[in-house]
Amino acid sequence: MNEIIKLRPIETSEPLKNLDRICDMESGRMSGKIFWDKDIYEQELEKVFARCWLFVAHESQLPKAGDYLTTTMGEDEVLVVRQKDASIRVMLNACPHRGNKVCFAEAGNARGFICNYHGWSFGADGGRLMGMHESKCYEESGFDKSQHGLRQARVASYKGLVFATFAEDAPTLEEYLGPMTWYLDVMLDMDEGGSEFFGGCIRSTIECNWKIAAENFVGDILHGGWTHDSAAKAMLGGPVTNVGELPESYSVNWNGHGYEFATDVVGNAATLGEREINKYLHTLRPKVAERLGEFRSKLIGAISSFTVFPNFSFLPGQNTVRVWQPRGPDKIDLYTWVIVNKNAPQEIKGKWRRGAMMTFSPTGVFEMDDGENWEYCTKTSRGMVTRYQDLYVGLGMHTRIDDSELPGNVFRGQLNECNARAFYQRWKDLLQSPTWADVPDRNGKMR
Amino acid sequence: MTDIDRELPVPFEQAREVEAFLLREARLLDDERWDDWLAGLSEAIHYWMPGIENRRREDRSGPYRLEHMAYFDDGLRELQRRVARFKQPSAWAENPPTRNVHLVTNIEVFAGAEADEYVVHSCFINVRSRGLDEQHQISGRREDVIRREADGLKLLKRKILIPNAMLLCKNINTFL
Repeated sequence: MNEIIKLRPIETSEPLKNLDRICDMESGRMSGKIFWDKDIYEQELEKVFARCWLFVAHESQLPKAGDYLTTTMGEDEVLVVRQKDASIRVMLNACPHRGNKVCFAEAGNARGFICNYHGWSFGADGGRLMGMHESKCYEESGFDKSQHGLRQARVASYKGLVFATFAEDAPTLEEYLGPMTWYLDVMLDMDEGGSEFFGGCIRSTIECNWKIAAENFVGDILHGGWTHDSAAKAMLGGPVTNVGELPESYSVNWNGHGYEFATDVVGNAATLGEREINKYLHTLRPKVAERLGEFRSKLIGAISSFTVFPNFSFLPGQNTVRVWQPRGPDKIDLYTWVIVNKNAPQEIKGKWRRGAMMTFSPTGVFEMDDGENWEYCTKTSRGMVTRYQDLYVGLGMHTRIDDSELPGNVFRGQLNECNARAFYQRWKDLLQSPTWADVPDRNGKMR
Repeated sequence: MTDIDRELPVPFEQAREVEAFLLREARLLDDERWDDWLAGLSEAIHYWMPGIENRRREDRSGPYRLEHMAYFDDGLRELQRRVARFKQPSAWAENPPTRNVHLVTNIEVFAGAEADEYVVHSCFINVRSRGLDEQHQISGRREDVIRREADGLKLLKRKILIPNAMLLCKNINTFL
């Protein structure tokens, strides 16, 4: 696939020393240095973002051949393009002549892309070099166009979600997601038409480390009742459900992915303050039970949150989907979309679009209190003493359920930092592993 | 976009009255007088700030659409809910408060589609500061429909367009 890359890639850099001393998930301790250190961030770009499968698009964003969108994988700018054969290709949005950005629009439809600098032009069919300004002088010097093009990523989809990676040695997407697909189906496959993104993308900037946001969605409902008290009162007229008193809830994780959930059907959805949405979910639920079984039908809008490692997250019920795009150790670009069932009535889709806006978007009444917390969780680490202060991530040690029939590593209760521990452990394992083959398997072992 | 040839001027006194309405609104927001601000809205308000898309000129989708995700796409109920959060003692991110300055400029007042309505164009700069060193600035252009109702002028429609396709801060914890 990357036969056009002629230079020898730089070998994996040496892992940083002493990571075990600032991130110890056995004892549930870490330090703020992991949110602040520039060397650690550079390692993350190399060993996490240039390696993992990263979310780039939902198939519904690119319905027709030639439809494209631009996004980033880590800090690498990429083009995501629907092909004539209906496949989707992902390629660097950087010209292989002088590196200029090739496509400046966030989305559109095109037959190809032409660089503004020297007119190097590329086909939409995978970014092959087609020609350039003053092409004759290239031909006279024996230039072989077939040896140049936009560098291609590996691409794979899971039920509408398109992921890509530039790592040749990464496992398949199926292996990467593992048993977590069973849980992803709750959001992606609750209805026979599948899901779609609705209403484009809203982008904002938060001055926080990307891991703090990803960790919040991987398994921190603990903050909900406290951080979001004001939003819940505004939207529901009362406080957030007391999660600690819900009869049945779990945290599950696998290779750093995590999902915490109650079985209360519409706990998340209720915060939108739209009766019609609760009604829609309750009406749909018996059909979901036929499709996915009784257990998963209780999760379709329940109090829950999900992160696919490293930086793709969503909230069932509020139906807000986001990527925490890393922009240095102390900044993220937040891309937010709304996901709905393709077969849902248009009016219901519209209510979700507005509901996600009202709750989890830059003007959302919930997100305002999150952004503030995350920024200052990051910024306090500029202090040298603070940076090495122990941060406790030990909640829920010894809550593992070893005989659960549910997939993945299953833990009792949502008020539990087991998913955060699994997230940071995976993060550290990647930073310490020279290749994918060296990444240890922690499944069944994490507490 | 409105048809520039069909803009009908209104008498000076009326234009001045509308301008005073907008300037007072800005002051109410700076002073966190949320209920007084809500009182200046029509019950039929549509308060809309669409997300902006960075698309090519020839792309007929345009930079924003009604169906697109928005920062605000609110009726009175939604605006009241936002105000309800601001007023909660547990709105942690608002204590200490955010300090606001709303500048309103480039005000142009024209006759509206109905006899008791005005179409009003304006620009704004909103500067917010939090803590010791946080400052965020948003500027943009607004197109309002302001209507004379039984108890005075009310904001019936507002469309807010910012030039940014990405908000360069964490939130918009005010109205624009």
